[in-house]
Amino acid sequence: MSFRYTMIGAAVGIFIFYLGLILSLFYFVGGKGFWEALSHPNTLFSIRLSLIAATIATFFAVLIGLPSAYALSRFKFVGKGILDTFLEIPMIISPIALGAAFLVFFNTPLGELIQTKGIFFVFEVPGIILAQFATIAGLTTRLMKASLDEISPRYEAVARSLGSSPWQTFYRVTLPLSFRGLLASVILSWAKAFGEFGATVTLAGAMPGKTETMPIAIFTALASANINKAIVLILILVVFGLLILYSVRLTGKRYRYD
Amino acid sequence: MIKIEDLTILFDSFKIVDLNIQIEEGGFHFLLGPTGSGKTLILESIMGLHKPKTGRIWIGDREVQGLPPERRGISYVPQDLALFPHLKVKENILFGIKARDLDMKIYEEYVHALVEVMKIEHLLERYPAHLSGGEKKRVALLRALAPKPKLLLLDEPLSGLDPSIKADVQHLLKNLHTSFHTTTLCVTHDFEEAYFLGDGITIFIDGKVEQVGKRDDVFLKPKSKKVAQFLGAKNLYRAKVLRNEESYQRLTLGINGLQFSIPTSLVRDKMEVGKEVELFIRPEEVMIIREGKPVKDSLKQNIFEGKILDITDKRRYHLVTFQTLEGKIPFEISIPNYTFRNLNLSIGKIAKVALRDESLWVMI
Repeated sequence: MSFRYTMIGAAVGIFIFYLGLILSLFYFVGGKGFWEALSHPNTLFSIRLSLIAATIATFFAVLIGLPSAYALSRFKFVGKGILDTFLEIPMIISPIALGAAFLVFFNTPLGELIQTKGIFFVFEVPGIILAQFATIAGLTTRLMKASLDEISPRYEAVARSLGSSPWQTFYRVTLPLSFRGLLASVILSWAKAFGEFGATVTLAGAMPGKTETMPIAIFTALASANINKAIVLILILVVFGLLILYSVRLTGKRYRYD
Repeated sequence: MIKIEDLTILFDSFKIVDLNIQIEEGGFHFLLGPTGSGKTLILESIMGLHKPKTGRIWIGDREVQGLPPERRGISYVPQDLALFPHLKVKENILFGIKARDLDMKIYEEYVHALVEVMKIEHLLERYPAHLSGGEKKRVALLRALAPKPKLLLLDEPLSGLDPSIKADVQHLLKNLHTSFHTTTLCVTHDFEEAYFLGDGITIFIDGKVEQVGKRDDVFLKPKSKKVAQFLGAKNLYRAKVLRNEESYQRLTLGINGLQFSIPTSLVRDKMEVGKEVELFIRPEEVMIIREGKPVKDSLKQNIFEGKILDITDKRRYHLVTFQTLEGKIPFEISIPNYTFRNLNLSIGKIAKVALRDESLWVMI
């Protein structure tokens, strides 16, 4: 077999593998109880909860991630290397471990103080947001740093020399120039938060109608042998996923400024 | 007047020590040095992007060291131009005026005049991606000049252009400078560019200033072999001072037994007998003597007989490699084409050359 066909064959193989997996779901679609499962209040609740929680978690991740990404991309400072490495912590430790660490933390005096005087996280909706935030913040920062790295600091230098303050330079030059990359980072982070399971279930539990996000609902549906509900939820996740991938693709298209 | 005093910059692997530059109001000064000598770093330090270890920068009577870049009144045209790709040409040009919140009414006429000189009226609504290399340079220059900077910094302004466009932009820079008198500091490795545009020149090699002065002073009277070589000097020889006849105001140098007579007016430093010096023979000032023609008295000091070793056609002139019979010293002579055609030279031929006083320069 020629070199070229071997390589392309491998690529097509992966495609068929995933496509087959998704198509197999349709074997059960339309079966008894399928439509009830789709319109069940708990299903709709999970969808809404997942959308809201992922959006809020992403908002906070961007709020802290964007300035951090800028700092890592542009400045030299003591401890930068350690900081940069630490961003990978949530990517290498299991989400369940992350969630468990939160449970431990909220049992320390400081954690208890936060819960009693501030917001209750354990087995509550804020816990979902916190768990999702913890999983994606490092990733968001990393992705945004990569987009900022692509913008030559020379643009900023010229803008500064022409009289722009650092803040003005940031939103008049850096932000518009890296906008597409940043947007793609936000979308991917949101998708990651949306699909988060391990940390969320550990910290916030799996209470239907209260803390049951979509991935958790799939798990509980399977655990209680409710195949129809599981498939409905999986299909919704797949549709969301494809929409996200498509929108990331759109942002990736070279903006020609014309 | 722009004054840069004792600037020392340590950054990554660069070490720039005690840089001093003075530029008269309205002057066009060149910082000339080899590629990779940290020239961009110097510009960015003057602008305020890097904090130098020591040094002070004065713009007029205002010390700007310690001010952020946006408050220094210095415009910068980087080598890659960095035109804002998300803004139209017009928005690029007005960026500085808007950022400084300047009154557009006051600047309108001036910007319009600049647009006219640069001939870019038809480009105002375009995005930078749709401009040619020369057009981009014009827009970048205009953007820098629009807010009337106290100092304009140019980083290799003619690099990356086709030769024909390069000449255009070079003339444009000269015109702009004669019309608008913006005090300019330009860094480049291209000494031809510096010769054409600069009135003052600082030669900067290996992190140190080697020579500062007016253009002709630097080009015609290099201080050291290093400077001469950087400026493209070829015929450089180690010579020994044999006699210093003060009554005649002439100096005699010897190389391989061959003697050269040099007017003391062409020597910068004190020359004691026995001292080792560098003799530089300018290829374009050497004359080949036509057979049977009388030789002027002023040329009689240094006449040598030799053999033609090689002839290269350089399109604009011919380069002849000549070797003296006595002492066997080879040197290059450049001869304008029209003269060359009348001389009837060929490889292997014996000829006589006269080194006029202007062709010689002595350095320590």
